[in-house]
Amino acid sequence: MSIGNPVHRIDGKLKVTGSANYAADFSVGTPLYAELVTSTVGLGRVTSIDDSAARAVPGVRAVYSHANPLPVDAADFFGAGGRAQQSWRPFESADVRFNGEIVGLVVADTLIGAREAARSMRVQYEEQDPAAVFGASGLEPEDLPDRGLSMGDIEQAMEASSQRVEETYTTYANTHNAMELFSTTAQWAGDELTVYVPSQWVEGFAAGIAEELGIDAARVRVVSPYVGGGFGGKGSLFTWTAMVAAAARDQGRPVKLYVTREQGFTTASYRAETEQDFRLGATADGRFTGFEHQGREISSRADTYVVNGGENTARMYHADAVRTGVTCIHADRQTPGFMRAPPEAPYFFALESGVDELAWKLSMDPVELRRINDIDAEPVNGVPFTSRSLMECYDAAAERFGWSDYEQTVGARTEGDWLVGWGCATATYPTQMGPCAVRIHFDATGQARVWVASHDVGTGAYTVIAQATALALGIPVDSVKVELGDSRLPPGTIAGGSISTASNVSAIEMAVAQIHDRMGTTAETMDPTAAFEAFGQRAIEEYAEWIPPAASRQQAKTLYNGKVAIVGGAEEDYTAFAFGAQFAEVRVHKYTREIRVPRLIGAFAAGRIMNEQTARSQYLGGMIWGIGHALLEKTEVDPRNGKIVNANIAEYLVPTNADVQELEAILVPETDTKVNPAGVKGIGEIGIVGTAAAIANAVYHATGTRVRHTPIHVEDLLPQA
Amino acid sequence: MAKTPGGTNREGPRVSRRGLLQGSVASGAAALGNFAGGAAQAQADAQATGSTTPTVSFSINGKTQTATLDARTTLLDYLREDLDLTGTKVGCNHAQCGACTVLIDGARVNSCLTLMATLEGSEVTTIEGISDEGELHPMQQAFIDNDGFQCGYCTPGQIMSAIGCVREGHAGSAPEIREYMSGNLCRCGAYKGIVAAVEQARDQVEEAG
Amino acid sequence: MKSFAYQKPASAQAAVGMVDPMSAAGQGGAFLAGGTTVLDLMKLHVLTPDSLTDVKTLLPAGIEERDGALYVGAGTTMAAAAEHPAFRDRAPALSDALWKAASPQLRNVATLGGNVLQRTRCPYFRDVASACNKREPGSGCAATEGVNRLLAVLGTSEDCIATYAGDWANALILFDTQVEVTGPEGDRTIAFEDLHTLPGDTPAVETTLGDADLITGYLIDLPDWAWRSVYTKVRDRESYAFAVASAAVALDMEEDTIREARIGLGGVATVPWRARAAEDYLAGKTLTEETGLEAGRIAFADARGWGHNDFKIPLGQQTILRGLMEAAALTREGTQ
Repeated sequence: MSIGNPVHRIDGKLKVTGSANYAADFSVGTPLYAELVTSTVGLGRVTSIDDSAARAVPGVRAVYSHANPLPVDAADFFGAGGRAQQSWRPFESADVRFNGEIVGLVVADTLIGAREAARSMRVQYEEQDPAAVFGASGLEPEDLPDRGLSMGDIEQAMEASSQRVEETYTTYANTHNAMELFSTTAQWAGDELTVYVPSQWVEGFAAGIAEELGIDAARVRVVSPYVGGGFGGKGSLFTWTAMVAAAARDQGRPVKLYVTREQGFTTASYRAETEQDFRLGATADGRFTGFEHQGREISSRADTYVVNGGENTARMYHADAVRTGVTCIHADRQTPGFMRAPPEAPYFFALESGVDELAWKLSMDPVELRRINDIDAEPVNGVPFTSRSLMECYDAAAERFGWSDYEQTVGARTEGDWLVGWGCATATYPTQMGPCAVRIHFDATGQARVWVASHDVGTGAYTVIAQATALALGIPVDSVKVELGDSRLPPGTIAGGSISTASNVSAIEMAVAQIHDRMGTTAETMDPTAAFEAFGQRAIEEYAEWIPPAASRQQAKTLYNGKVAIVGGAEEDYTAFAFGAQFAEVRVHKYTREIRVPRLIGAFAAGRIMNEQTARSQYLGGMIWGIGHALLEKTEVDPRNGKIVNANIAEYLVPTNADVQELEAILVPETDTKVNPAGVKGIGEIGIVGTAAAIANAVYHATGTRVRHTPIHVEDLLPQA
Repeated sequence: MAKTPGGTNREGPRVSRRGLLQGSVASGAAALGNFAGGAAQAQADAQATGSTTPTVSFSINGKTQTATLDARTTLLDYLREDLDLTGTKVGCNHAQCGACTVLIDGARVNSCLTLMATLEGSEVTTIEGISDEGELHPMQQAFIDNDGFQCGYCTPGQIMSAIGCVREGHAGSAPEIREYMSGNLCRCGAYKGIVAAVEQARDQVEEAG
Repeated sequence: MKSFAYQKPASAQAAVGMVDPMSAAGQGGAFLAGGTTVLDLMKLHVLTPDSLTDVKTLLPAGIEERDGALYVGAGTTMAAAAEHPAFRDRAPALSDALWKAASPQLRNVATLGGNVLQRTRCPYFRDVASACNKREPGSGCAATEGVNRLLAVLGTSEDCIATYAGDWANALILFDTQVEVTGPEGDRTIAFEDLHTLPGDTPAVETTLGDADLITGYLIDLPDWAWRSVYTKVRDRESYAFAVASAAVALDMEEDTIREARIGLGGVATVPWRARAAEDYLAGKTLTEETGLEAGRIAFADARGWGHNDFKIPLGQQTILRGLMEAAALTREGTQ
């Protein structure tokens, strides 16, 4: 079976009744409340802190800062194999490294008091001019030569082309803006610490908090059973989490912190802006010759973090020669991090816009141009794909969209006062996996329980894990109970890189195979009563540690260390990607140039689909993110002081319900027996990939204006005054 | 004792009972086309004296209660931090996202910008107050049936807003639902399921009034 | 939020006697109606009143005929007004400007009295760490050389380019509207067009109202051709967004000829903006793309861009053109 049943979410009732407990919903008696104070300059140092007004607020217990620091060390940076969102910790010095950095933490008896006190802090700075954005003076480029790919002679290949695209594409910074506010509640019982924090990685958070507090990881429990949206923003340990725990220890009371929406823009991670130099050549009949993709990405001064999407854009199509590279541009900004399809969202905007530009130059249907350059093995090292259904996706989506009516003429179509344009683009995401352990308890009443420190960030993990267990055991889905999101459970994977389902299901199938092996049963013939009678026990429990086949010995050892080990994508002996095709119709008003997306149709092939309903929702959600990426989302930095001027969710625009009209995801059947034992590819991120390019390509089709940046706004399409 | 707000025993001068009742009369008169405002009230000049910790009586999910609270206390914080009714979610605290939507006297509002002090005599309904003895409200069931959520965080606000949307008569067509549900952001992008859920539950909610 | 005293008087008259004048720096007292602006800004410490005087239920609410004009109580919610047949049928611009603003939840509580006094969304006004002459007179304007894409191109000064953020006022200004005000000195009326003041070198002063003045209602003199009116709102996203540019347009037409045009602009100006020169130009003209765009050019002849918002000049012109075309396309039944 390649498409799983559309089972409704097993946690649905909890969610629609408000009974699902997210991190800030746990009751811890009468906590103290903490509030962050963040810097108002973009670079410099704190020269004085006047907390007299803050301390005068009734109920204020403490004001922490670099002058009165909490005993917290910095854990290792996530991007360097550690767990923390950045390599330094607030309060370690008076230095201010970016605008909105944490410079104080106020603790008070009441939430209202904590808020008032935080806003009453008077912090003086010695201020310097930051280099916060592309083009600023004082940026530090760091070349990363070992991160690039090279095959063949790129210059020769470009010269051999009859048409070529050589352009620079830019993408602006984006902020996750999950609906759930960031928060942390910390409660000590003796020297045992429980932390409630929205997390996509409870194991890593627990280990990182222990590292930062200098205590035994076994004493730290991180609880995050329901996560109000992740999108990568809750994957690395926040700087404030251990601070709240340290404050709770200092105060001898539980402490609860809500991070404001505004502070969430600067004290957590984000998708950094990129500049990408892109070259693609083709012969007159459309065969690609040379492909070059060089990225420049903003990061903080201290941390080297790049998403380096050229590693994946280079695997998409035929090429005679390939060259990619990436440069980290160190700036006076916070450290960026994972955000939904971290490399692919920005880099496929360039690739798929570039392919479309080339199609116009060649006077060739853009779908056919991709068909001509479809491949069985990636071009850099010639390693075969485990499966690749790219053109099946194009064909399915094109048919539904009505692409056969496509006419490669600018402004060919109008409806009323609206110019109509069509565009398409490739979606992809590497199939990745990580080591995962799971415990399954199965008893004579036919009930099963599954424990794994995995996460449901809205993906449907609870439901899919229950389905996989039920299917493997041969029992109904509603006989399975699932516990997730607690670091005391068997170590699962980080909920990132679209790895959860493949990893969880592989581990579950392993554990269930052990059960069948011991009991002499099969899923097909499972009769719990008879089986347990024959087995002679009332219950059975099995524990499985699943290590992806491609994992190194070193990666296999990460399971109990709170470290991330992700394998997959372009490996030495296989290339594993899911594929899709996105088709967009846009309308651009003939006078005022607003851009709307009346139709967006995607088709995706991602191996075995565990649950048709939750899978479709993932794809649709990703496509809506693509609308935001293309037309709305822009984290706007004031170059003068590095301040994010739209750090709120009224002016940082995400799509509303009204921005989504006809939206459809087609699930293209695909069987992949090589990618992993479960045959599962990830689906959480692919939906956003290519969407922005499809929309930009449609904008060109409608207006004749080629916009090579995101987001695309009215001003990009207006006639001059 | 109150956790959020003030949480102290400070009690300033109380709003006079008489003043509050007169306030309620004006409130009742706030219907369209009725002008029981200024002129009618001019003679009733009992000036309520201000208080930083007013006392207010209201009902939440049918339960009437009276509390003396810091005047700054919002309905959202009171629900979550004092009453432990955490089904109402906090997403921005500035009425920019809709996660905190509840019904006040039947109308959907953002609880983050509603002061408790203004709720004298009001009836508040939260997500915890719409299902009947374990039986889901039709809108709740419709959200499950149509996968109208993913992470579930905006969902209580979406459901309360959806009930308000139907009662306001703005659930007539998919485009109308999309426009009139746009005060509730869903970052997971479950909008298609949300529209389908409102369409499914519309008739039942209309009948229930 | 700073601590404040909540007070709820028995009448609007009593309220104006109770409220302490609030200074430009946000001290003193403030009125509370829907609260959607004042509480938002109090949470940011942009406003720090020491008392809030709750007038929500004291203000007249509703819309009715009065002496041949339309009387609108200041306590009417945006939601109720948007749906009211008097607006929807007789002056759709007044309805459109309401339902296209904010969200249903906000419209359920925000009142029309407070609506016209909505404060700017200028990011530097909303951030107490930034220089802002409106919030802190004399501190400077961080916006003129800052990120100002959403700020104004009309009615600006070197001291302030904050956009007036509301929508309904830009439609209300089309019509001869008297604002009824009660204050410490008693009741009076102000012509709506005289309510808002240009920033000049005193951007903290936004209206001609006194500190303890309370808007109680509006008397709108609707011409019988106001049915031919629209509110065209250009936004980056389809809903729940402030205007990048907007145009309220009302047309009195005879066949294809414009007898009288009225144009209000939003999203581009520091105050609700009436484009009178453009209106004069259009009188007697046949509406075409050329004349419509010329009206736009005239309306923005004195506009000044500040960098990121330069595009608002051509966009504003196009928005006027679009508004004129959409108004002209209306038929008596209100359908296109």
